[in-house]
Amino acid sequence: MAVLKRKERVSDEIPTASMADIAFLLLVFFLTTTVFNEEKGLPIVLPEEAEEQDVSAKNIIFFIVRPDGSVIVRRGESEQEQVVPYNQIESILRTELAANENLIAAIKTDPFAPYKHMINVLDEVKLSGADRISLQMLEE
Amino acid sequence: MAKRGGFSRKSSASEEIPSSSMADIAFLLLIFFMVSTVFRKERDQPIEWANAEATEKIDEKRKNIVHVWIDDSGTVFINDQIVPFESIAGVIRPLYTENRNLVVAIRGDREVPYNQINTITEQLQASGAVRVTFATRVEQRVQRARR
Repeated sequence: MAVLKRKERVSDEIPTASMADIAFLLLVFFLTTTVFNEEKGLPIVLPEEAEEQDVSAKNIIFFIVRPDGSVIVRRGESEQEQVVPYNQIESILRTELAANENLIAAIKTDPFAPYKHMINVLDEVKLSGADRISLQMLEE
Repeated sequence: MAKRGGFSRKSSASEEIPSSSMADIAFLLLIFFMVSTVFRKERDQPIEWANAEATEKIDEKRKNIVHVWIDDSGTVFINDQIVPFESIAGVIRPLYTENRNLVVAIRGDREVPYNQINTITEQLQASGAVRVTFATRVEQRVQRARR
């Protein structure tokens, strides 16, 4: 009977030619799915506890952040307050810094103002190149 | 005359790339990447990031960074543990005494009221860890103009 005489033609070796393809496929999969988590942010060094210093009023410029996100600028000595848009904070601070390099940019945030508004102001202050920054909370 | 055999000798090197060693190379690379991969042990909390144009890359080793998460409901997470506000200093202080180069990354939701952030920074000051970053996402100037 012809059916019984048919020989098996399948090779009993593992096909090594496709092994490289499999390995590279795995390699590419792991390479593309790997996510490097970088740390990004706005670095700041907080003052150490009980290190509070008295600063003369003329060396401070206050940025007061209100709960609705509007920002008031108050220059140290004067009681004069002025609402400024975000995109002017950088240029205001730059001119003030050019006049007085000991200037401290104090960001006073209302306790109920969302965090993002304070970050927006801190962003502008950082962009202006100020390195003496103080973070405060607005007292009631 | 002697035969000039030098010119007629055929090169016997194969012109094909040896494909039998390709699998070994690929597996070696694969194993290298698998072994050198470090998995993160902390889970990300779902927060809305704050954006800032002045965002800097923090060049600090991963073991020197501790994340303090605050989600929009005001819950604080440190290393996957919920930490009440008043005990943040107690959690951070032993980490800081162990590692003086510690940087605390505050990952706050953008809508969190500022008094909670202020409580955290006060707690950090009390624990001595004064190197802090406010974690943000990079923002383009076009986006910034719109806010």
